This record gives sequence, C-alpha cells and structure tokens, in this order.
Amino acid sequence: MRKDRAAYLFLLPWLVGILFTVGPFVVSLYLAFTDYNLLTPPHWSGLANVREMIGDVHLHQSLKVTFIYTLVSVPLSLGAALAVAMVLHRGVRGLAVYRSIYYLPSLLGSSVAIVMLWRYLFGYQGVVNQFLGRLGIQGPGWTSDPHFALSTLILLHVWTFGAPMVIFLAGLKQIPAMYYEAAAMDGASGWRQFRSVTLPLLSPIIFFNLVQSMIASFQTFTQGYVMSGGTGGPAESTLFSNLYLYQKGFGELDMGYASSLAWLLLIIIAGFTAVNFLAARYWVFYEN
Amino acid sequence: MTLTLSRLVAARREKLPRRVRWLRHLGLTAVGALMMYPLIWLVSSSLKSSNTVFTDEGLWPHAWAPGNYPRGWTSLPESFDVYLINSLIIVTLSIAGNLMSCSLAAYAFARLRFTGRRLFFALMLGTMMLPGHVLTIPRYVLFDKLGWLNTYYPLLVPHFLATNGFYIFLMVQFMRSLPTELDDAARIDGCGPFRTFWKVIMPLCLPAFATTAIFTFIAVWNEFFEPLLYLTDPQLYTVPLALRQFMDSEGQSQWGEMFAMSFVSLAPVIGFFIAGQKYLVKGIATTGLR
Amino acid sequence: MNTVDRRGALKLAGLAGLAATLPACGRGFGGGGDQKGDAVELNMVWWGDAARAEKTQKALDLFHTANPGIRVRTEYQDSSPYKDKLVTRFAAGDPPDLMAMRTDSLREYANRGALLDLAQQGGKLDLSGLTDSARGLGVVGRQNFGVPSGLNAIGFVVDKALTDKFGVQIPDGDTWSWEDLATFAKQVTTASGGKVYGTNFEVWTIANLIVWTRQHGEDFYTADGKLGITAATMTGWLAMVQKMRADKAFPPAGFIDPNGGASAAQSYIAKKAIASQIIPTNNFLTFDKVCGGQLQLLRIPGETQGARRGQSIDTPALWSVAAKSKHPAETLTLLNFLVNDVAGAKAAGTTRGVPASRPVATAITPGLETDDQRASAYLAELQNEKLPPSYSYPIGASKLTNILKSISTEVEFGRKTPAAGAAEFVDAGQKALSA
Repeated sequence: MRKDRAAYLFLLPWLVGILFTVGPFVVSLYLAFTDYNLLTPPHWSGLANVREMIGDVHLHQSLKVTFIYTLVSVPLSLGAALAVAMVLHRGVRGLAVYRSIYYLPSLLGSSVAIVMLWRYLFGYQGVVNQFLGRLGIQGPGWTSDPHFALSTLILLHVWTFGAPMVIFLAGLKQIPAMYYEAAAMDGASGWRQFRSVTLPLLSPIIFFNLVQSMIASFQTFTQGYVMSGGTGGPAESTLFSNLYLYQKGFGELDMGYASSLAWLLLIIIAGFTAVNFLAARYWVFYEN
Repeated sequence: MTLTLSRLVAARREKLPRRVRWLRHLGLTAVGALMMYPLIWLVSSSLKSSNTVFTDEGLWPHAWAPGNYPRGWTSLPESFDVYLINSLIIVTLSIAGNLMSCSLAAYAFARLRFTGRRLFFALMLGTMMLPGHVLTIPRYVLFDKLGWLNTYYPLLVPHFLATNGFYIFLMVQFMRSLPTELDDAARIDGCGPFRTFWKVIMPLCLPAFATTAIFTFIAVWNEFFEPLLYLTDPQLYTVPLALRQFMDSEGQSQWGEMFAMSFVSLAPVIGFFIAGQKYLVKGIATTGLR
Repeated sequence: MNTVDRRGALKLAGLAGLAATLPACGRGFGGGGDQKGDAVELNMVWWGDAARAEKTQKALDLFHTANPGIRVRTEYQDSSPYKDKLVTRFAAGDPPDLMAMRTDSLREYANRGALLDLAQQGGKLDLSGLTDSARGLGVVGRQNFGVPSGLNAIGFVVDKALTDKFGVQIPDGDTWSWEDLATFAKQVTTASGGKVYGTNFEVWTIANLIVWTRQHGEDFYTADGKLGITAATMTGWLAMVQKMRADKAFPPAGFIDPNGGASAAQSYIAKKAIASQIIPTNNFLTFDKVCGGQLQLLRIPGETQGARRGQSIDTPALWSVAAKSKHPAETLTLLNFLVNDVAGAKAAGTTRGVPASRPVATAITPGLETDDQRASAYLAELQNEKLPPSYSYPIGASKLTNILKSISTEVEFGRKTPAAGAAEFVDAGQKALSA
C-alpha cells in the first residue's frame, strides 16, 4: 500500500514516541494491581486496590469535586472565550492590544508569585473583602472557607479564558472569506451569519477546545495543589482526583493505589471523550 | 478577493453606531483592567522589601526596594542570566520539535487515509488521559537507563517525537477545517502527499502553528516538575527551578528577590506572544484562496 | 504560492538548523562533564532557600579544604518538591549519599531498608557531644538512622509592641497556664477594639498537639509506634481553641488560611493581625525581624500545671545516609564534619537549629546575632531540665497533619463538635499508623 507507506512516514516520529509512552503506561497499569511503597519492590495484590476504592470516602469526595469543577468551569470558560473572540474578531481598533491583555492571565501560569497574589486578593482581609467591607459586607475567607474555596478556583480558571480564546481567534481567521461573501449576498447578517457560517465552520475548533478542556479539567492538579499547599483543603473541598492521587503516591508512598486511581481517571476521561466524539457527529462540520 | 473581504469588514464596522462602539471599548477595557491587575501587582511587589512585601498592602510601595532586582539577579548559585539562557535553549528546541513532529503526525491523521488510522488516533488521545504522576517513576528509570539524567534530553526528545497529543489534536482540527478541494487541486497539479503538505497545507495552517508555538513556549517556560526531577546540576537549572530556590515554605524566603525575578522571567513570554500573535491572524482570509 | 509560504519554510528550516547546532554547545547535552578523576564525588541534598544554601556552601568550602579527596555536589529545593524528588530517586535506585530527612518520614525510609544504620559505623561518626534526647531523635529501636542537623523546640512569641500599645501585661512565660493565655488573648482583642486578635496558633500542627498531649500524661506516639493520644485529650485541645474563638481571643473561622505559608514574612503576626503565636525557635530571628524587633519568646503554656512537662527537644531536619551510597566512608566523614567541626558550624549558622553537639553549640553561641543567642539560651535551658522521653514518629505519621488539618477545619466552621472531631481523628490516626 503506497498510501499507507506515505502516512506511516508522516507518523514516524510519533510512532517512535509512542514507544516511549507505552512503556511507562504498561508499568503503571501493572502497578495498579500491586502494593508498592516506592522503597521496596512492588508485590502483586490482585484486585485489593479496586476493593479499597469502593469504600474510600476521600476518593468519592475527590470525584465529586472534580466533576463539579469540570462541569461548571469548562462551559463557563469556553463560553467567555468564544464571546470575547467574536467581539474581537469583528474588527476592533486595538485588537492586538486587547488580545494580549486578555491572554495575560494564561501567560502567568501558576507560579509561586501568582499564588501569593490570590491569597492577597481572596484572603479574609484581602482586597476583595476590603472592597465588600466598604459596602458593609463581611466577606468570607474565599480560599480558607470550605463553602467558597472551590468556587474561587472555578472563578480563577474562567479568568484564564485567554488560552481557548486565542485558539478560537485563530480558527475564526481560518474561515474563508468567500463564505461570508456568499452569506452577505444572500442578505444574511449578524446573528444569521454567526449561526449559518461562523458556527458550523468553527465547529471543529469548538470541538477541539471542548474535548481538550474536559481532558485537562478532569486532570486538574496545579491549581488545587498550589492553592491548598497540596492538601486539597480546606476540609477536602478542593481535593481534585489528581491531587488525591498525588497525595497517595508521593505523600503516603502508596504508589500501587495511586496507579489504580490514575487508571480509574483514565477510564472516566475516556468515557467522556467517547461521548463527545459520538455527539460530534451531530454538530461538528468537517470539510471532508 | 482579499480586497472584497476588507471592504466587507469595513462595511460591517461602519454599521455599528458610534455609541455602541464606545460602549464596547469601555466594556473591553474594564475586563482588560481585571486581566492586567496581576501584572501591576507583581511589579509593585517586586519593589517592596522581603520583610514588608506582605504587610505593606498598597499597590504603591511605602518604601521602595529596587535593590531586589540586582540582588535577585546575583544571589542564587548562578547568575540569573544562566537560567534565562537555559530556559530559552529548551524552549526554542521544544518549539522546533513540536512544530515538526506534531504537524507531520497531524497531517497524516487529518488528510490521509491509512490502515489503523482510527486506532492510532484513539491511542494518541488516550496518551493525554493518564495523570502524569504515575508515569514519573518509570520515566525516571527509563531516562536513567538511557544515561540522560542531568541533561536536557528528557525535556527535549519527547517534543521531537510528538508525544504531546494536545498539539497533534489541535493541528488535526485546523487541518480538517480546510477545504478538501485544496488537496484535489494539488493532486491534479501532480503533487504527492509531501508536496501537498509542504506547499498547500503548511502555509494555510500558520495560525495553528503560531498557536502551537505560543502554547509550547508557555508550557515549557513554566514547567517545574520535569526539570526538577531530571536536572541536578544548578548550572543547568531552568527559570522556574531558580525562582523556587528563593524560597523555603517552612523557613525564611527572599520574597522581594523572587517577585523581582518572576517579573523578569515574564518578559520573554510576553515578548514572544506579542511577536508571535501577528501570525495568529495569517489565515486563509489573508493569504487568499485560489 | 506566495512569499509568506517561503518565509515560513525558511524560518522552519532555520529553527531546525538551530536544533541541530545547539547540542554541540555541550552544556545540558551530556558533554562538558569534566569530572576531577581522582576525587570521590558525594551527592548531598537538603531543603531550604538561597540564604541557607549560601551558608551551607561556606561550610562545605571548609570541608573541601580539609578533605581534598572528596568533592560534595549539593542540590537543594523548597521542602515539598524536595520530598517528591527524593522519593523518586530512591524508587529509581539513584539515591543521594547524604540527605536532609523529615522526622515524620524517617521510619518510612528506615524501616524499608533505605537508610544506613549509623549505630553500626563504629568510630567514623562521633556523636558523643549530643545529649541522649538529641541523639534519640534519629533512633529507631537499637538502630540509628539520622543525626539532627540542629536542634530546636517550639516557643510562644508575643509582640510586645502590640501589648504595650494596648496596655496589656504579658504573663510570666515560664509558668503561665492555658487559661492565662486565653485571658491574656481576650484582653488584647478587647483592648484593640477587635482590630488585633490576642493569639492564634496552628491547631493542626502535630508538634503543637504533642506538647498538649504530653502535658496530659500521654504520649502522642507511643514507644511501640502507635497513636497514644486519647479522644478525651484530643477533645480538650479542639474545645479549648473553639472556646477561645467564641471569646474572640482567637480569630473567627476562615480568618486564617491554613495553607497560607508558614514563613515569617507571610505570618499574621507580621501583619499585626494577631499578637502572639507558636513558632519553631530556629525561626525566632526571622520572625523578630519582620515583626519589628519587639518579640518576647515564652514557653508553651501549661508547663507547670499539667501532669508532666510537655515541651521536648526537636530537630528541623535529620541528616541520613542512603543504604545504597557508593561511598559510605566518605559520606560519614562529611557527616562527622557537619556535626563536630566548630568552624564549619560557625559558617553554617543556625538556620537548621542550634548545633546538636553541645560543645559545638557552646563554642559558636558568642558569635551569633542577639536573637539567635536568645533562641539558643531558650533551648539550652530546656536541655538542662528533666523532660519526659519522646519516641520517633512511626510509619504513616506524615499523613496525620493532613488528617488533622481537615478535621480541625470542620470543627472551626462548626460542622463538627470538638468531641466528634476528636473521635474521628483518633480513629483515622490509628488506621493511618497501622496501614
């Protein structure tokens, strides 16, 4: 097959790379069925880890946190990203400046300095509460109160909508002008153009952002880690699954159980991604 | 055609009344202020002394400590430019590797039909789904066996082997949104898949490439854990490792210096974004479509 | 196609060219590793910041001069990434020779055969300058897996600038009771009009709770590595804090971010939001500096009222040697230097606590800054007194902080009563130590 050979040539770096990836994957799958404390060799424990997961209240809490976070923050941040991208795309004077400024939070990452900033803003005596205090409201400790900590993290995630926004903007620029011209000739404008031209032609990019954000969101780690000092606190209210897994593996030296958790997470993410791909048949429009 | 489009855009812009445009700018600027806040705060903090940075709460420092900058630059085992250069080397090579390897793979997935395509694609997505912590030890052992510890290879080679599915998937989606007539036309002109990739698809995917380059820059520039594990010689440290050396969360920390160098280390990222963002808009709309 | 295309291709080719040439530069690509062939190279790792690194390096320079045949390659990080890298290196069979070890992780490594038994090393390591309680910090049964890198204790600091301002008398620090603390703290809060809270200390920090437990006649960790605290004692601890919180002696729920960082500059006492707190004594100098130089160092309350003394001598970190070290003899030479060399100890200072060896501590004290001398004197007095023995942290001990943090937060917000929280902690703690 000549066609196959060409394709495999294109895929060559990836095919070599997958060998690098598959080895550690297989090892972690094996470890998922062992008792492994990192310091002495692992020993086979069969389904003991799976049985432990069923009764593990911390795991259940962590899944709850992760699901809430994903189901709320993904739509919010993608919605904000798309809305702002549309506004900017329509041709605003100073587009480049706005785009850079909106992207800024995504550039900052979760460095130590930025975490300090969050404390400064959202602490009990922080800037936000000082402002509320002027209105006569005593705000809570936004990161230290278990009722509010997760919401604060979601807000901070939405604040980094610049990253998907940049991808949307790039996608919008990719839409051939001839479609808009045709639509304009048909007398379509504004909302109609958005519905019948922009949305379908942008759908592969929307789909990408959706799938990608969900995969990333289910694996959220850094945000929770830096904000709670690795504890998932206050009172486990920000205990993301990936953070719990890290605590088990590196904190409590129970890497066997951590590996089981990782594969559980993989199965969950794969399930959601599969649903996304199935649903895509009905709304994502490809050229070919 | 480009001309028609710009006229079209111009026409659309004119349609909005002046007041609406003003309101829009007002809204955009208000949101922008929220986005700018951290940067301003960072600059302000970098100019306060380590002892007062958390107690002097205003944005305008009571006592200025510009000395944080020279001190931060020199008080680590290596001068700070060493870390900046190390990070720049790693970032540059990572971008090159990602662009080459991921665009090749993406082209195969997006535009070619071959045996095992669906399976490989699913595998590619699957590699994005396993939390990295459980891969740490096996990868460390692997790189140790290869004799790559304390070198940049563990940080670089994976980028040349398209191991990050995110970028492949991104490019696949961009390539799939290009009209298929392009390939047909190229084939009729006698182009094989390689020429089609190089001459037709690549130029049209410039926004996707720019996006990949920018995202890679940020991800690699900010990456902490991998360099932490694989590098032991302080001479090889990257910027995030260096920044973390200013502090000990259980003891004392050189906060002022840390904030100052954090700000310094943001400059390349911001610069790269500003330089790279003009390619974000070089899509089909501006290069034209025959 | 047009110019954009060609320029793009050129740029890509340029990048590829760069990729090909840069590795030739050597650094970071396996080249340029010019090792001195004859010297034995040791790898020594610890956690800390750049200031500690500078002092440590000065001590090591002295060591290098005295031992030209040994080169020490050091590496340090902030404590939490340090821990992750350390365990990864052990798991991969690539451990450092000499390392800083947390007291609560010691047995996790030692009981699994990862560390060298220092008791078996005969004359290479001289620990005769250490008191029994100091030496005991690294002892597990008959074996010894760590030497304290320095000694500290916990102490109560009060900001005299604030108490003077509000006209509140600081109780006698050697004999005050927990009730005295509550009364004092309430006075401060009231006198300040609620702007400053009288006290706050970390309810979830095990070292604090250990003192309380010992004062109540129990061992937090027993000699056979079990959890010794009873639910009643635990309830007392949580209830006392809740009572103070209700009296506004302690800040309200959510005021303190339990993960806000424990460093002096970030502390609430530095922000003048509270007037007193518990700190490790080796940080006294830093705290006093950020608070404006008016801190008083008091003992923990309740030392003269309880069933027995609660305070103990601790260490910020132990030095341990990997069982798999390829150069155990040289590593012990280095460790011996760190413990016993006066010039080295002088250079290293007291960032890791007062030198564990008493002769060394006595020799360097006159040269210390005043605040370090105060902390040293505090510790020396404790060392001269008869304190009940304490036992090394059992396997699983490192989990307890997180468990307690979670439970104490629930109590703080009134989601659980102190009694329910205490019962849950004792139950979860016992499980964590037996698993």
